[in-house]
Amino acid sequence: MVKNAQVISMYLLIHSGLIFFLYPADIIESTEVGHWIPILTGFAIHAAVMFVYLKGLRLADGQSVLDLFSSAGRTWSALLLAPVFVYLTMVLVITARAYSEIVNLLFLENTPLWATMALLLGVSAYVASLGIESIMRSGLLLFGLSLPFAVFVLATSFQNVDWHYLLPSIDRASASFSFLFGVPFLRSLFAFGGGFLFLGFIQPSLDYSHRRLLMSSLILLPLFLISVYVPLLTFGQNTSATFLFPFLMATDTVDVDYLIFERTTLFFMLSMFVFVLVFMAIVTWQTVRIATHFVNLPFKPAVMIWTCATFIACTKIEDWQQVERLLGWNTYFRLYAMFVIPAATLAIGIRYARKGDNTNEARAQ
Amino acid sequence: MKRARNKAIAAVLVCLLIMLLLGGCWDNKDINHRSLPIVMGIAKRESQYLVVLQIPEPGLGATKIRLVEETGTTISEIVDRISKNMESQIDLLHLKVVLFEKGYAEEGVNDSVETFMRAHSLSPKTMTAICDEPINLFFRNIDSFNKNNGTILINFFEKNAGWNPHISADRVWELFRSIHSYTRDTVIPIVRSGTGTVIESNGSGVIRGGKLVERLTSDQTLLINMFNGISAKGKIEVMDHATVEILSSSIRRRGSIEDGHPVVKGRISLKVSLIETRGQPSQQQIKKEVEALLSDRFDAMLKKLKAHQADVLGAGQLFRTQYSRDQLERWRTDYFPSLNVDIKFDTVIQNTGKLKADA
Amino acid sequence: MRMIKELEARSETDSDLLFQHIRLAGQPTIFIAFRSLIDLPATLNDLYQRAAWVADQPERGSLGEEITEPEEEALLALLLGGQALLWHENGNRFASLTPIAKSLSRSIESPTTENVLRGSISAFVEDIDTNIGLIRKHEPSGSLHTRDFRLGSSGQKRVSFLYKEGVIDAKLKESITQRLVQNAERDAGDLQQLASLLGFPRWTLVTKFNTSELPQEAETALNEGKAVLLLERMPFAIILPSLMWDMFAVQNDRNFPAIFMMLIRFLRMLAVLTNIIIPGLYVALVSVNPDVLRIEMALTIAKSRVDVPYPSLVETLLLLFILELTLEASIRLPKSIGPTVTMVGGIILGQAVVSAKLVSNLLIIILAATSISSSVVVGFQNSFSIRLFKYLLLVLSAMYGVIGLVAGLVVICAYLASVTSFGIPYLELYKPGRKSNG
Repeated sequence: MVKNAQVISMYLLIHSGLIFFLYPADIIESTEVGHWIPILTGFAIHAAVMFVYLKGLRLADGQSVLDLFSSAGRTWSALLLAPVFVYLTMVLVITARAYSEIVNLLFLENTPLWATMALLLGVSAYVASLGIESIMRSGLLLFGLSLPFAVFVLATSFQNVDWHYLLPSIDRASASFSFLFGVPFLRSLFAFGGGFLFLGFIQPSLDYSHRRLLMSSLILLPLFLISVYVPLLTFGQNTSATFLFPFLMATDTVDVDYLIFERTTLFFMLSMFVFVLVFMAIVTWQTVRIATHFVNLPFKPAVMIWTCATFIACTKIEDWQQVERLLGWNTYFRLYAMFVIPAATLAIGIRYARKGDNTNEARAQ
Repeated sequence: MKRARNKAIAAVLVCLLIMLLLGGCWDNKDINHRSLPIVMGIAKRESQYLVVLQIPEPGLGATKIRLVEETGTTISEIVDRISKNMESQIDLLHLKVVLFEKGYAEEGVNDSVETFMRAHSLSPKTMTAICDEPINLFFRNIDSFNKNNGTILINFFEKNAGWNPHISADRVWELFRSIHSYTRDTVIPIVRSGTGTVIESNGSGVIRGGKLVERLTSDQTLLINMFNGISAKGKIEVMDHATVEILSSSIRRRGSIEDGHPVVKGRISLKVSLIETRGQPSQQQIKKEVEALLSDRFDAMLKKLKAHQADVLGAGQLFRTQYSRDQLERWRTDYFPSLNVDIKFDTVIQNTGKLKADA
Repeated sequence: MRMIKELEARSETDSDLLFQHIRLAGQPTIFIAFRSLIDLPATLNDLYQRAAWVADQPERGSLGEEITEPEEEALLALLLGGQALLWHENGNRFASLTPIAKSLSRSIESPTTENVLRGSISAFVEDIDTNIGLIRKHEPSGSLHTRDFRLGSSGQKRVSFLYKEGVIDAKLKESITQRLVQNAERDAGDLQQLASLLGFPRWTLVTKFNTSELPQEAETALNEGKAVLLLERMPFAIILPSLMWDMFAVQNDRNFPAIFMMLIRFLRMLAVLTNIIIPGLYVALVSVNPDVLRIEMALTIAKSRVDVPYPSLVETLLLLFILELTLEASIRLPKSIGPTVTMVGGIILGQAVVSAKLVSNLLIIILAATSISSSVVVGFQNSFSIRLFKYLLLVLSAMYGVIGLVAGLVVICAYLASVTSFGIPYLELYKPGRKSNG
């Protein structure tokens, strides 16, 4: 079944859930001037990698990545997918941990961290256990529900900007791409490193137009720019570099008289929280999907077991520094998931397509 | 078989839920058991902080105001102690105004500003002001004035209530930005308790690097607001021959470097309405007088600012492309004192009130 | 001879079983029927006329249908089905004939549970044939088909399955037919039994049937490719599958200008959201996250809650409980006493509870908004779901504040997204001929 709207909204939802928290701080840290260069670079990498991935998937005639890799042999596919499995698990742990930290910081001062993590993981496990079609449908529904709020906050976040901070647009350091191998930039790839992998997992139950999806990724570009530039234009480089979550700070300075609510951050946090829950659900689903592909396990219990394991892992992380260290280790797996998996998909896809042609020709003869 | 299992799962879930409910309301504290201070006064006396909180207490009938005072070594410690002593929990989330005592402001408020930005329980939108008299005296004076209006201090600063362009408005985040910025200082209002009105505006203070370095009159504050593009509507300007009301103002400015010195050229367009005339001045004459008066005031103010190397005009912002970041870092000390500002005032008398011009 | 004795013995326990000795065309005959189901004088009158007509010319055949091998069970089933029997003494022959039935149904009236502002106001009645007739009147199309099934252990409950050929999803038609044929021996006295007969899960929070009293709703459903089931003695049509959109749209809206239609539907969506969110939001804002409120608002709420002894969760649950009682009571009571309950519940109790300082008066406003908005959705069966969902949000809000509220919304959305009937997702916007997104 062709479900363009579901897939596209899921794609946008996942990424906007990730963009607005850790990403701006990393980009602001990566360079002092001309932040648009790392943003565009990151985005170009994202688009290119996604293009390769989708191309490979198209050659594979709408098979899922799992089936496609399995066509290259069970060992090969296990070797290829094991790092992805580790990567997704780490993403799940980091996301659950980091977001409960944020929630506790902003809304629930006295609630113990494990309770917030239990909520996050519990809800995402429930959503994940319903299966991919339900996840996608609820994604679309939630996207529709929270979009007005997110748009409202994005629009009002420009209240305190000083456009002078836009300049200078470039300097030698940023033009030389020296940020490229710096830790902050590599860490910023978290925002779009693994989100798109789900596209290879949802086929064949859901089909979608690859071209439209690529087009829709353009919508992300302004979001990337806004997430970095709103705090920059409000505070300036020096001040925003001191914040852990610059975009949240920038929305916190917005004053809207006509709401009964004091903080527009509230709306923003809530819609982003929804997005993150859906993101975690789909990551859980992918992880368990990989696991059940190789080990014979019923799906729902596997989700439960996996969530419990994640929960225990999350409670073992003690402070924010460990989260950052985990993010650092995660970089290697992220680079693997970002570059090797799409490349492998393309390579195996080409091989598959050629084989398909050969058999067709053989049949014709 | 399957149904029985489902039932068991449901029962376990319900039990879990009840357990969570019984033990799980960590943040559950009803609003009437929280104290929501709206104004905080901070002073520093011999390395001890003195904090005064103004807390509205909702009760049957009118809202009463309560003042709480405490001293200690850090602000959060003081708040904790007050919270312990009070019958309800202090919740600083609704704090609206922070008043720094003048002495403390002169010493530097960096620490408290950073506390405010770091602690999640405080909003960065909190307004700041400097208090021109001992802080406990100030609170006692305004307390005797308004027994049942807790929000009077807030209204003084709210754009849609009591604020007017003579008063600068500054929030904690703007103060924080000015501390970290290379090119931007800020002004915050100075208030004291009044005799006829509850609060009296006393001009504003120039904050450089978190310290109060200079005071400006309210007329000068108006000019700064104009320069920063905040519309100065509603202002009445008294001159020899006439009084005018400024209806709107707009500014265009550009920065350039001439002979190694930074120069700002700008044009402020004013639209005014005639309110009062003395004698028979021509419109041309009034225009000229307005322009000359504003120019003089501006120059005087600039001289003051240059002396303290405090760029409250944010003029450095205009040179972001001309100077490198290293140079901008030295903007206040090396370049700002030699800044030339060439501001032209352009006045249009939009209307002459309800009378004809030559009436 | 033996058979007629056995039947006669039965009349002792069935007092309305009638044995009338008559002479038809000179032949001694016994007329057997349930007196309660037929119009006796008219039937007999008609019978005599036909008998005379047949007797004139014997080649015209006989009266009624000959029953070749009479058995008691079969005969009784015929009688219960409203047929009459003739027993000819000469030759010990049984024949069945269709008598003139007594009218045991209401005449067509206006609907009692659904109000129509503009549009046809005739509603379905208990008689299944009348109902089919009503639908045929609304949809005089050759592609409308009706298939009858007999359900139940005695095989007497009639179910009609209506669909429009070419519009209905072939898979949907197939699976409904299959279930009805397979489970024909099971009872379908109520909708729960029908649901289990159709293979729906027992523990569902969303009704799988959309019901309507209005033929025009059935007509729209048919044209949208849905299936309509009519159950004997049920004065409404059962529309399958039930979709979320049915909560917000009725065919009647189309009798208003398009822009009003859209606004009305938007209003209904807002109402559903209000109903689910508001009680939870109240608890979240009052107890957990008062910081997000404006100070003026916060002070007002605090003022209204001074002296209220319990936490806001208990306060809200208490009043919601009373509200649910009022709702339920007003269904039970006769129409003439109903308003009394409303008055006692609404005005007296509401006023007293506030002045007794048991709850804050803001909560009264919140709950009034809740109860009003719960009735805005189309179809009473749908209001149950949203009435239930709000409790989940209430509990989560008490624990986690606004974050819990949103997490609860995610759970609800995911639940709704997971519901399917016959492979058609609850969230689907059903359109004929096109598989739509969502």
